[in-house]
Amino acid sequence: MTGQPRIEDLLREFAPQVLGTLARRYGQFDACEDAVQEALLAAAVQWPAEGVPDRPRSWLLIVASRALVDTWRADSARRRRETMAARDRTGYAPAVGRPGAGRDDRLVLLFLCCHPALSAPSQLALTLRAVGGLTTAQIAAAFLVPEATIAKRIARAKRHIRDAGARFELPAQPERTERLGVVLHVLYLMFNEGYTTSSGPALQRPDLTTEAIRLARLLYRLLPEEPEVAGLLALMLLTDARRAARTDNDGRIVPLAEQLRDRWDSAAIAEGQAILTRTLGTGTVGPYQLQAAIAALHDEAPTAEQTDWPQILALYDVLTAVAPGPVVTLSRAVALAMVHGPAAGLAVLGTLDTDDRLAHSHRLEAVRAHLLEQTGNTVAARHSYLQAAKMTASLPEQRYLELRAARLRQPANPDDWPDQPPHTIDPGTRDEAPGHP
Amino acid sequence: MRYMIMMFGGIGAATQDRSAEWIAGMHELLMKLDTELKESGECVASEALADPSQAKTVRFVSGAPAPTDGPFAEVKESLAGYWIVDVDEDRALQIASRVVAYTEYPMEVRRIMDHSAQP
Repeated sequence: MTGQPRIEDLLREFAPQVLGTLARRYGQFDACEDAVQEALLAAAVQWPAEGVPDRPRSWLLIVASRALVDTWRADSARRRRETMAARDRTGYAPAVGRPGAGRDDRLVLLFLCCHPALSAPSQLALTLRAVGGLTTAQIAAAFLVPEATIAKRIARAKRHIRDAGARFELPAQPERTERLGVVLHVLYLMFNEGYTTSSGPALQRPDLTTEAIRLARLLYRLLPEEPEVAGLLALMLLTDARRAARTDNDGRIVPLAEQLRDRWDSAAIAEGQAILTRTLGTGTVGPYQLQAAIAALHDEAPTAEQTDWPQILALYDVLTAVAPGPVVTLSRAVALAMVHGPAAGLAVLGTLDTDDRLAHSHRLEAVRAHLLEQTGNTVAARHSYLQAAKMTASLPEQRYLELRAARLRQPANPDDWPDQPPHTIDPGTRDEAPGHP
Repeated sequence: MRYMIMMFGGIGAATQDRSAEWIAGMHELLMKLDTELKESGECVASEALADPSQAKTVRFVSGAPAPTDGPFAEVKESLAGYWIVDVDEDRALQIASRVVAYTEYPMEVRRIMDHSAQP
């Protein structure tokens, strides 16, 4: 087995290439996607038992084509299209051997799966299956939902793409730039879903972050000149580098300031920094590059105390100008507190109280609690921690916040009072996934 | 036989004034028990619900459904989380007892109805 790529890696590599070839040849993205999924499942059963075929991509293409033809044959109303397809097959040279064909196809696929007619969960599921080459069962496991739910979501997504009249080609400018923004956002959501899961017992689901990084890498290879593509990949690498330190052995959250920095992935940090250095200054500075630059400053600090907060604050100022939003304001308030003291940060939080976009988020209360704790106002801090604990839908977050609140509990017996108020030094920043641009 | 072991909203208020060590101990017990039940295959499903203060209740008001803030029941009677276990009644009671021994807060154990006709 050594030296051989794993079967799963081969399948994941070839899945979008085979799908791209089929979709370009026959149209009918939805039927082609089903056929490729069938071929992947067949390979997952046969290859481990019988060995990997000499030309694995051709094998997948043949099996998927056969599955496609079987589907058409089963449906007598589609007989006409079947004969057309058969004619197409004889007329076209096989795309398998054409250099570069697979490359562009994957880009077209990404754009198609992130079609704006789809909801975000549908975009995520379809991208993971059609471009990521994951099976429906693997996607279901990653999102902690039943397999049937994902299967229906994907079927519905493909129906919407068909109804929207989307064609298997790259959109022309200026739509292309706009659609690239959607693709980046879908990958960003995929990463965040894995990094700070929105629900469930675990804080992170590394399979989703790993997949998001893999797809961002692919996109970066396809579009190396797009600064925001590079920025997103760098942001993911620089953030994911802290993964191993974010939870302790019992799965409890460890805030950024208390993380054991030798557990950070120095190779990922170096790669993210290199991409960022190559990219900054080559084009328009967008929110992903700025967030990556902020993540890099955190990663570069040998200790939490040595973090370059003035520089981080300056970057948040630029981010506020480029992509303003309540989450950016919230993160900027933390940086402001680190530079100018907790009272300055708290004043900014006050401006967010009336923002409906944060009304159902626990993050505002959690940041307020940390800043209040820094000012020494333990009673108000405890109240905010408990409030934030009630608002979150993440169990690890809730447990973390309950513990922080309990630490500030005023003992019923005055003899239990410590000499100093129970006030720990904390930079007030949580190692959250970066704010939405 | 399947049983639902239920924890109620009052647990939040009952534990709020406990020490950090006590709360950490409770988290540990719940996580450990959850892992055990999943590894033994006894657990069919388990979920914790978000705080009842975040709940909405849809009521029939003036001839139409209308969502209102807050749970229908009092917060302390509101469901906070559950395990569904495929075990006999003795075992279900034993599982609930392990939690109650620590939290000193009651839990309810209910048999789940069968979908098939019983002989």
